[in-house]
Amino acid sequence: MSDGFRLGIFVTIIRPEEKGILAAADARGIPVQRYDDGAVTFGLERPEALPDVLLNRSVSHTRSVYATRCFAHYGVPTVNAPEVVELAGDKILATLRLAERGVPVPRTEIALDAEAAMTALDRIGYPAVLKPAVGSWGRLMAKVDTPEAAQQILEHKVALGAPIHSVFYVQEYVTKPDRDLRAFVVGSEVVAAMYRRSTEWRTNAARGAVTEAAALSPELDELARRAAEAVGGGVLAVDMLESPRGPLVLEVNPTPEFKALTGATGADIAGRIVDYAVQVGRR
Amino acid sequence: MTQCPECEAIVESHDMVLGEVFPCPDCGTELEVLGTDPFAVQPAPKEAEDWGE
Repeated sequence: MSDGFRLGIFVTIIRPEEKGILAAADARGIPVQRYDDGAVTFGLERPEALPDVLLNRSVSHTRSVYATRCFAHYGVPTVNAPEVVELAGDKILATLRLAERGVPVPRTEIALDAEAAMTALDRIGYPAVLKPAVGSWGRLMAKVDTPEAAQQILEHKVALGAPIHSVFYVQEYVTKPDRDLRAFVVGSEVVAAMYRRSTEWRTNAARGAVTEAAALSPELDELARRAAEAVGGGVLAVDMLESPRGPLVLEVNPTPEFKALTGATGADIAGRIVDYAVQVGRR
Repeated sequence: MTQCPECEAIVESHDMVLGEVFPCPDCGTELEVLGTDPFAVQPAPKEAEDWGE
């Protein structure tokens, strides 16, 4: 590519995913302008030498929200769009949107106080799952089997201090096979999917789940695309599980990892992301 | 090559890029590439509360 098109990438650290993206851009002859999320500053005036599109790969939700807004302020399109980052990066907002769009999700209640969370847990029933609104890799998630255990976990969460820890996302514990599904959506297409198996109830690849390529049924393929579209579309990993009452969408991740998925499927996900970012930058 | 700041083991570059994170082959500490020429590393940033996908 020799027309001066430049890809911006906003990063915290360089993991195999980002290294793959840098290599894919290089293979396509696309110069990359790199922004480190801990070093960059944003003024109100539009700086010179901006990229044609900004690919957000920061692992920090907070930094992602503000950085994509700042690049949008300069007129630089971002992947994902700021609205998508804000929505999909917050489990509460994302679940509300999925439900509004008719995407099946587990039974969920939101409470804004620990005492109200106990009421929400009673309504959901035990066992239930408590999740943080923001952040992932399975951290600060808890499966609670009894009201006594719930009380203690809620007290600990409140003691963490930050107001966000006193916002409670309570979800039914869905009986499922020992696996869940991740579908990687780029634009309007599922580019790869995998099962994640674990003996633990959390099936995050970051927690050592075993992964295996999955051939999605037309129903699951459509569900993944609908979920991605519901939060605004872009590059999104849709986590689903097969419940006795049909497939449910658990999460839509706006800055997804794909090392395990690439390993399981052989799909050139980094290349697909770069191609999609170029497409967005040329719109 | 350089030394791991935690265990002082010899760490080699292997075509790493600036900002790349990798475990020290000896002690397993997550290291971040601080420079490529000369090759330099520092302990990788600690995972923050809002980190995720």
